[in-house]
Amino acid sequence: MYLYQLAIGDWWNDLKDTFTLNFIDDDRYMLLVKGLGNTFLVTLGATILGILLGVIVALVRSTYDKTALGMRPGAGKVVLSLLNKIASLYLTVIRGTPVLVQLMIAYFVIFVSIAQHKTIVAIIAFGINSGAYVAEIIRSGIMSIDPGQFEAGRSLGFNYAQTMLYIIIPQALKNVLPALANEFIVLIKETSVSCYIGLHDLTKGGEIIRSRTYTAFMPLLAVALIYLVIVMFFTRLVNILERRLRNSER
Amino acid sequence: MSADPIISVNKLKKYYNRGAIKALDGVSLDISKGEVVVIIGPSGSGKSTLLRSLNLLEIPTSGSILFEGNDITSRGTDINKLRQKMGMVFQHFNLFPHLTIMDNMTLGPRKLLGIPRAEAEENARRLLAKVALEDRAGAYPSQLSGGQKQRIAIVRALAMKPDVLLFDEPTSALDPEMVGEVLDVMKDLAREGMTMVVVTHEMGFAREVGHRIIFMDEGRKIAEGTPEEIFEHTENERLKTFLAKVL
Ligand SMILES: Nc1ncnc2c1ncn2[C@@H]1O[C@H](COP(=O)(O)OP(=O)(O)OP(=O)(O)O)[C@@H](O)[C@H]1O
Ligand SMILES: [Mg+2]
Repeated sequence: MYLYQLAIGDWWNDLKDTFTLNFIDDDRYMLLVKGLGNTFLVTLGATILGILLGVIVALVRSTYDKTALGMRPGAGKVVLSLLNKIASLYLTVIRGTPVLVQLMIAYFVIFVSIAQHKTIVAIIAFGINSGAYVAEIIRSGIMSIDPGQFEAGRSLGFNYAQTMLYIIIPQALKNVLPALANEFIVLIKETSVSCYIGLHDLTKGGEIIRSRTYTAFMPLLAVALIYLVIVMFFTRLVNILERRLRNSER
Repeated sequence: MSADPIISVNKLKKYYNRGAIKALDGVSLDISKGEVVVIIGPSGSGKSTLLRSLNLLEIPTSGSILFEGNDITSRGTDINKLRQKMGMVFQHFNLFPHLTIMDNMTLGPRKLLGIPRAEAEENARRLLAKVALEDRAGAYPSQLSGGQKQRIAIVRALAMKPDVLLFDEPTSALDPEMVGEVLDVMKDLAREGMTMVVVTHEMGFAREVGHRIIFMDEGRKIAEGTPEEIFEHTENERLKTFLAKVL
């Protein structure tokens, strides 16, 4: 009985010590806090860039699909099919290579001149990556809108761009809002590979602690838990959003 | 009715699949100001194609369409300006579900005609009162019945102050008890002198409101005349067969 209590007590004290060592001593928890901040910064920046890119690429692709066949030959048609080729190439390359490789190419090859701004390089790399996935989400959103909506817009006298802007895009975005929010959640986790370029994100924060305290269990568990809680929180939010949107459809 | 036609269609053809399908096979037709022209005919006869060619939702393969004196099939025409003057009402209403009724009605006038919001909304309210829906201005399309949606679609087109209104089977998607309320609105418009081209299977409406009936079959205009000529005194066999089926 006494021995058992002793064992528990030892274990508990050990735990307290490693905890203190990893998070309290030298304010090491601040390494995680700072990392979390950067994780959010990169994720948010990349999401915004990804949506911008995604909308543009989706517009090019669906405009081409919808109109190129019926277009009269001329400069407009040439430009549109060129843009469409570029967009397809972008989608193929980005979706056909690992994001970590893209990030390293961005950091070590393309943006060497601004390599000290790791956050910016990461935002650009993940933004370009995310844009390819967002583009396909938004394109499916545009394609899912009843063609009658497009015709109604055109029959009032709106040109192609105005019809897209006032009538098609708002409905398409609303339809794919949950999918876009999911893309944000995926990015939160995906950006963890940015410690490969030495960016101090949440994962790197845990890594730094591990390398200083020579204990792996506690800091890595903490990192995993923080990701999990954040992802669960946002997943919950997306579910609520989805329900709201569905109700407003009626 | 003035002598000068507002729309003049000449030998209009529309082919699909490199001529394998002749949706329109040389249709000629004049429409005068204030006239109500009703197009009837069996399914697949080219009624919709003809109507949708008038505002270039379909680009004809050959032939010409003069609207207010200008050939709209020539490359120089501003299709968007043209469409502002030709309202269209669809079988499936095609209201914008993300906008309120008020915004559905004011989007075009505000963005295309540059009418200030207050004035556009005042116009819209007046039109809503005309179709007895002034209390639904703030509702969304999904909150309306089919008949209400179609009445809104009609006044949305009217809000652009068009010279012509095109209707493609405006009552075909409605429950029977809602057909009347939409036809009543269209009758009022006809009485007020609106130029209308109506594709419909409502023979009662065609007879009562139409000034001229066009019967189409296989992409051609087979018969044309006053309701009396078409419904009472026709000698045309195809028309007789068609009427025997629908009347
Ligand atoms: N996009 C298209 N591609 C190929 N064929 C088409 C297309 N649109 C219409 N057609 C064909 O053209 C013909 C005329 O069609 P249209 O829709 O004008 O007929 P309709 O008289 O309006 O028929 P309904 O009463 O069924 O609406 C039909 O044979 C149809 O199958
Ligand atoms: Mg039709």
